[in-house]
Amino acid sequence: MFQLDLKSRASIYEQIVDNIKELIIADVLSAEEKLPSVRELSKTLTVNPNTIQKAYRELEYQGFIYTVSGLGTFVSAAADKEVDAKRVGEVTEELKRSIRELRFLGLPQEQVSMLLKDLLEERGDLG
Amino acid sequence: MIKVQNVDKTFDGFQALHNLDLNVKKGSIYGLVGTNGAGKTTLIKHVTGILKQDEGSIFIEDAPVYENLEIKQRMGYIPDDLYFFASYNLKESAGFYKSIYPRWSSERYAQMVKQFELDEKRKLSRFSKGMQKQAAFILTMSSMPDYLILDEPIDGLDPIIRKLVWKYVVEDVAEREMTVLVSSHNLREMEGICDSIGILNKGKMMIERDLDELKSDIHKIQVAFRDPKEDPYAGLNVLHRESRGTVDLLIIRNRKELVEKIISESNPVVFDLLPLSLEEIFIYELGGGDSEIEGIIF
Repeated sequence: MFQLDLKSRASIYEQIVDNIKELIIADVLSAEEKLPSVRELSKTLTVNPNTIQKAYRELEYQGFIYTVSGLGTFVSAAADKEVDAKRVGEVTEELKRSIRELRFLGLPQEQVSMLLKDLLEERGDLG
Repeated sequence: MIKVQNVDKTFDGFQALHNLDLNVKKGSIYGLVGTNGAGKTTLIKHVTGILKQDEGSIFIEDAPVYENLEIKQRMGYIPDDLYFFASYNLKESAGFYKSIYPRWSSERYAQMVKQFELDEKRKLSRFSKGMQKQAAFILTMSSMPDYLILDEPIDGLDPIIRKLVWKYVVEDVAEREMTVLVSSHNLREMEGICDSIGILNKGKMMIERDLDELKSDIHKIQVAFRDPKEDPYAGLNVLHRESRGTVDLLIIRNRKELVEKIISESNPVVFDLLPLSLEEIFIYELGGGDSEIEGIIF
């Protein structure tokens, strides 16, 4: 499903959370799709099941997935996700930093705004 | 569940364990780390009921472990210095294990021998060091333990076999809620596999915590200000500080949120916050006081 980088400074737990989030955002894992069970994923990745359990709990807390007891864990529909103000702030900060860097690299303003417009249109259906 | 409380042990006037506590939850993989001579092996020999403590108590599932046959039948232990009967091969050893451990699985044994590609008929004393470790691992895992105690298990194993060893361990933790206590100096590998960490120093438990909590509490930051304030780090628990030109390098023991909040109040032009690796935490906690060792670290 995805690879973990043991050399990364990010903990295994964070990497699992981020990887699954990315797969959900990119629609590789679509809404209502069943995720592998903690045991299965633990065996595939050779990762401590307690770590996977914790990552699933965090993803559930952030609204990306939900668990139905006895049935398993599923991807939430986009509309069900609650807006996490803190995370929105963080991502906005990242975006600002990147745009500043693009400007610093000499990209004219029009080109930056074109780029943003293209990106928004590309995934506009997610609105 | 393994519970060690206030354990003391003295060998010929040398106190190896001081008032030591250790708690391993059921289904957890607990990494025991520490400098050479810190008491890891001594502690493990107490948990496995080989040595008897002078003071304190060692319980597994609320029963004292020393001379406790019932617990030992459900416990697998691979010591650092392996022991096999001199003339036995793997197959004969398996027969012996089967007679000792009631939950022995011949099925698992056959599967593992095939997967590790070991010759069952060759004398174990003729095996290389790494092959002997594999043999011990096969025998131990085939006894289907509820408690797996490993002293430097991956020492001397090649990367492919290491991966296979962890695969079996993780599988049994996931499937049967096996509890694992493992000591090692390979901190990077510990970091990848453990959920709890105990750092042992001079016979005392220095830190015992959930690995992710331990890591979320200590950070390395790199920061530079255009017009620095008098003390931009007021309110932070700075463990180490060093300046490289206009850039400051600090080790801070605080939550990420607080570090970010305090630093950004001074409008930094450069601000990178990195979590510390277990290796760095270990070196910092155990070598930090010594200026010479400190020189190597930072």
